Amino acid sequence: MRLDIYRFDPESGAPPRMQAYEVQPEAGDKKLLDLLMRLRVQDDSLSFRRSCREGVCGSDAMNINGRNGLACLTALDGLKEPVVLRPLPGFPVIRDLIVDMTQFFAHYHSIRPWLINDEPLPERERVQTPAERERLDGLYECILCACCSAFCPSYWWNPDKFIGPSGLLQAYRFIADSRDTATAERLDFLDDVYRLYRCRTIMNCTEVCPKGLSPSHAIERIRLALLRRSS
Amino acid sequence: MRLFDGQRAWVVQRISALLLLVLLVLAVLALPFASPLDFSAWRAFAGGVLGGPLIALLFGALCAHAWVGLRDIVLDYIQPRGLRLAVLSLIAVVLLGVLVRVLLSLAAAALST
Repeated sequence: MRLDIYRFDPESGAPPRMQAYEVQPEAGDKKLLDLLMRLRVQDDSLSFRRSCREGVCGSDAMNINGRNGLACLTALDGLKEPVVLRPLPGFPVIRDLIVDMTQFFAHYHSIRPWLINDEPLPERERVQTPAERERLDGLYECILCACCSAFCPSYWWNPDKFIGPSGLLQAYRFIADSRDTATAERLDFLDDVYRLYRCRTIMNCTEVCPKGLSPSHAIERIRLALLRRSS
Repeated sequence: MRLFDGQRAWVVQRISALLLLVLLVLAVLALPFASPLDFSAWRAFAGGVLGGPLIALLFGALCAHAWVGLRDIVLDYIQPRGLRLAVLSLIAVVLLGVLVRVLLSLAAAALST
């Protein structure tokens, strides 16, 4: 298989370039990550992140043939050749396919991604009805791979101020949680022309999410929650 | 009130879009039945009890919708503060000018009928 991979080594001082590779998948190679691991044997200077290799850690997110995705979930069958691999668009590149996620995680931390509940602790856990628990489906599964935020034009334009689809999906995960008592503060924080309202419902996020989640739906629910609160 | 409000602008954009849709559909449906469509007919319509407020509403919605939309484009693409303020001011002046011009024309039409 032919691959064209974005190469950048900040220590060399050379500008970024695309490097062509030829590698043959062997028996058992099903996903793009398998091929990348094989490629590393050929060229150990090629850098990319990977960990769980099964779509749970979200570390091998990259731009594959113009579309963000996880290398470990992308099947080799049907991939158009040459397979063009680039780092996540809009993110600062550290080296080759590795990007700097600092700002992405700063946005994630800004939405306070933990349960806030100032009521006295119950004797056992805080219980939920099945219906309340069901509202978290489609939200808690986010693995923070950044495929969505790195495919969002609004995030490219204002990466420092717009929280981005991933952070907003996570924000709604806590707004929707019946055990969380900080909904009003969370909504106050999000009611901002940049943090939430830079979203223009382009819906690239939903289109590209490798876990099949819908950040645009979560963003719409936050807007409706804000609307309900003020009416 | 904050200059760059989040939710209020979002609501204004949606309500004005609905108004524009309804008023433009009404206009398209009504135009074939208006004959002859000349200056005096337009002036009579604009000076009427129904026509004047409808035209004012149409242009009010148009200017509000244009303000939010253009403001969004400016916030996305123009990052230097000075240039951004200048462009936003220019947009505000033009839109307010359009609105004032329309209201003055409607008032003149109402007085002449």
